[in-house]
Amino acid sequence: MSHSHWILIAILALAAALIRIAGLLAGSAIRRSRFAPLLDDLPGAIIVSLVGASLADLPAFGWLAATCAFATAWVTRDVIATMIVGVASFAGLSYFLA
Amino acid sequence: MKQGALSFLPLALGVAIYGFAFGILAAQVGFPFWGVAMMSASVHAGSSQIVAVEQFSGGGALVGAALAGALLNLRYIGIVASLTEILRHAPLPIRLLAIHITGDENWALTMSENARDKTIGAAFLIGSGLVSITTWTVFTTLGALVGSALPDLERFGLGFAFTAAFIAMARGMFRGRGDLLPWIGSFALTVALVLAGMAKAYAIVFGAVVGVTLSALQRRIRS
Repeated sequence: MSHSHWILIAILALAAALIRIAGLLAGSAIRRSRFAPLLDDLPGAIIVSLVGASLADLPAFGWLAATCAFATAWVTRDVIATMIVGVASFAGLSYFLA
Repeated sequence: MKQGALSFLPLALGVAIYGFAFGILAAQVGFPFWGVAMMSASVHAGSSQIVAVEQFSGGGALVGAALAGALLNLRYIGIVASLTEILRHAPLPIRLLAIHITGDENWALTMSENARDKTIGAAFLIGSGLVSITTWTVFTTLGALVGSALPDLERFGLGFAFTAAFIAMARGMFRGRGDLLPWIGSFALTVALVLAGMAKAYAIVFGAVVGVTLSALQRRIRS
């Protein structure tokens, strides 16, 4: 494991602890402040941006596989089922279309 | 505490499967099993870990990868804040333990049980949390052990599993029509910036900022 792996784990662990402690110490005040909606809006915006960044440089079959994954997620709301359908679609479509 | 641990067992199955899948993916991008175990025990946040590992393996800047993972955890400010009443009488070390082992699933279970029965409190939260973090750590580690023994699965499309996981997480976070415009804005801008040559880590930050800004503008227009 490289230094980068260690640093990534350390930063993630530290940030997770600080965020939880912030919730314990000042959570109620933050929830009552004008920044409260930001806490609710940010996770979705990040996830959607991550999907965009993942798909941006994929060929057409990647977008088709994403469509299959999206349909599965919409119906099942299940992470594992979506991952299975997404990977199977990607592998199948790349075999026939790549 | 025992009641919380037992009540969480059905949910632990889902945590185990999700953790096992994450462990395989993390091993495939170079994390040893003990590194995965250390990360799971110290971070204990599935979506945050997946995002950080995906960004890191994709060649994203280290700080960008960590930042993306950490920002996704901001919701825990609200989650922990909602536990204030339940943890009010617990001593500080117990409170610190409780907030570390609290995950989405055992928090939701504790809050729903507490709404029904006010005697359900810190002990239930800690019992369910201990099962949650133990399951998550053990099964991500087992997944990493299996993943490191497998051949390179990238050519079978395994790398797409992260993208599919993000899509499923987005579905879980979708709150209704009010999210459509901000999310389309985030998605479109991120794709455009990456296609224009910007590093993905920065494009994600710009995309997220635009999404949050559009949400705020929508709220202001409606109010």
